[in-house]
Amino acid sequence: MEILRFDKVCKRYPMGDSVVDALVDASFSINEGDFVSILGPSGSGKSTLMHLLGFLDSPTEGGVFFEGRRLEDISGTQRARIRAEKIGFVFQAFNLLPRMTVFGNARLPLSYHSKPPADADERVHRALALVDMEHRAHHKPGELSGGQRQRVAIARALVNEPRIILADEPTGNLDSKTAATILELFEELNRQGRTIVLVTHDPKVAERTKRQIHVLDGRIDRET
Amino acid sequence: MNLFSGILNGLAEIWAHKLRSFLTMLCVMLGVVSMVVITGFVEGMFASWSRNLAERGGLEKVSTGNTEPPARQEAIASLSKGLTLGDALHIKRVLPPGFHISPEFDLRTTLFRRGKRDWLRVQGVTDGILAINRYEVGKGRFFTELEVRDSANVIVLGTWVADRLFERGENPVGRFVDLNGQPFKVVGVLTHYELMFRQWNTLRWKNDVAFIPVTTALKKVGRSEKLAWVNVQVDDVERLNETVDTITNVLATRHNGIYDFKVNTSEGELASFAESKKNSVFFAGIIGGVTLLVSAIGIANLMLASINERVREIGIRKAIGATGRNIFGQFLVEAIALSLFGGLMGMAVSISVIDGLRSFLPPDNLPVLSSSALAVGFGFSVLAGVLAGVYPALQASRLDPINALRYE
Repeated sequence: MEILRFDKVCKRYPMGDSVVDALVDASFSINEGDFVSILGPSGSGKSTLMHLLGFLDSPTEGGVFFEGRRLEDISGTQRARIRAEKIGFVFQAFNLLPRMTVFGNARLPLSYHSKPPADADERVHRALALVDMEHRAHHKPGELSGGQRQRVAIARALVNEPRIILADEPTGNLDSKTAATILELFEELNRQGRTIVLVTHDPKVAERTKRQIHVLDGRIDRET
Repeated sequence: MNLFSGILNGLAEIWAHKLRSFLTMLCVMLGVVSMVVITGFVEGMFASWSRNLAERGGLEKVSTGNTEPPARQEAIASLSKGLTLGDALHIKRVLPPGFHISPEFDLRTTLFRRGKRDWLRVQGVTDGILAINRYEVGKGRFFTELEVRDSANVIVLGTWVADRLFERGENPVGRFVDLNGQPFKVVGVLTHYELMFRQWNTLRWKNDVAFIPVTTALKKVGRSEKLAWVNVQVDDVERLNETVDTITNVLATRHNGIYDFKVNTSEGELASFAESKKNSVFFAGIIGGVTLLVSAIGIANLMLASINERVREIGIRKAIGATGRNIFGQFLVEAIALSLFGGLMGMAVSISVIDGLRSFLPPDNLPVLSSSALAVGFGFSVLAGVLAGVYPALQASRLDPINALRYE
């Protein structure tokens, strides 16, 4: 079942007097249960693609569809709601709030639900248990290692039981051993049926996914 | 994000920047304190003035004095002798029995006793002054009606006069003082009066006076027929105008139609004080308002600095689902929490300051803790927080999440 679809999506940015084509005619779809990597070197348009996938940006041309609905037809508030309830984000720099505890960070997306679930705390415990971080629930991010912080970020992405998890260079700030465990965690989550899109510049990371979309100079070069 | 978690979040941010937040709250607190304490003093002053007015006969007092006749009567002014004891007796006869009347003769003179001298105000009066100006005799007695009728050489001293003429511990009652070369027997000493302390005692005039019978003052000391004042105290302020008319009619008749007298009440004084009170409260409001404006600017500044430091956090929150409204609410709650705590601190400090002042100021002139001033001060502080928080919160809510996430 299709969750996300890009249909001839273009994204241009004005840069002084000229216009930069960050993404040109990108078409692909993400289906339920997919484990997809978007692979490309720095400046290839991966981040633009990620922002469009996460409804943080709008295309200049073409259509982005989420569960069959065209992005342009969805208001800013509704997009925020979709991000809160149906999309899980994992960032390269973890992006945890330093003054909040692990529990508070993992719970944050539930605060922005239109109707915060009654079992919110239970969900947070479940998500933290899934990434093996429940025992550090009351610690602050500053007290954790890089790998542990990324686990908390993954728990935060899982807590709203999203339709899709978007991970932007999730292993970029980690040593190879920790990176391997994080990738194993993604594989396990995918085995459990979760849809994951992983943006990376590292072919070895991309190899761990079931499908790779290669991006080069703002174009989709090929899919493998 | 609900209000409760918003407040908790706001408190966490305040705690994270303790000194900065405390200084901002201090501004809010000072605004509330200045408003409440100044209003308290104004209220206290009004209470003190009311008491002072009551000590001088209150609103029920009708005071009649001499004045220049109008220009058109200048040529025939000699037809009137001015305000005399006969006028006072006549007024007493026509007014209802419950009214007090006090004919008064004023002179500045020197009292002597055993090498000590005291330059003071001596008033020739009857016992009517006791009721009208709320005098009480602390030691001895006041002079009797008989002594007034006989123009006896008796005198009642105010406490300061007694202190200056007699040795400490010496009882003045029964002893003699010299007035204009005549011996006067001290029959009593008045009670000591104090409203505000030391040189600010607004009732010091009640201690710095001596009374002799009005007849003695006129015949033996002043050698005049003319009184300074005829004061009347009505039993009900409702009868004030009626009494003013009666006195005017009596005097106009007795003075052969010469209007060389003026009949006054305290209503004008009351109106002018009410006006001053209004102005003072307004002034207090201005001071408090300016301080709160400064605190509002402080809060806005703090919030803008805080937003600048938390751009990335805003980006993260937006990326994981916060709407612009959520972010707006979060920062507004923080601003309100700052002003709310500043306002609460201000209320607590105001109460303590007023309590403290009340503990060492004399009981007659205490600042009043006004609940309305507290409420207005607190309300204004919260309002300052809201107004100061809106712009920074709006700025935060409008941040682009992509740029905010890239912010280092």
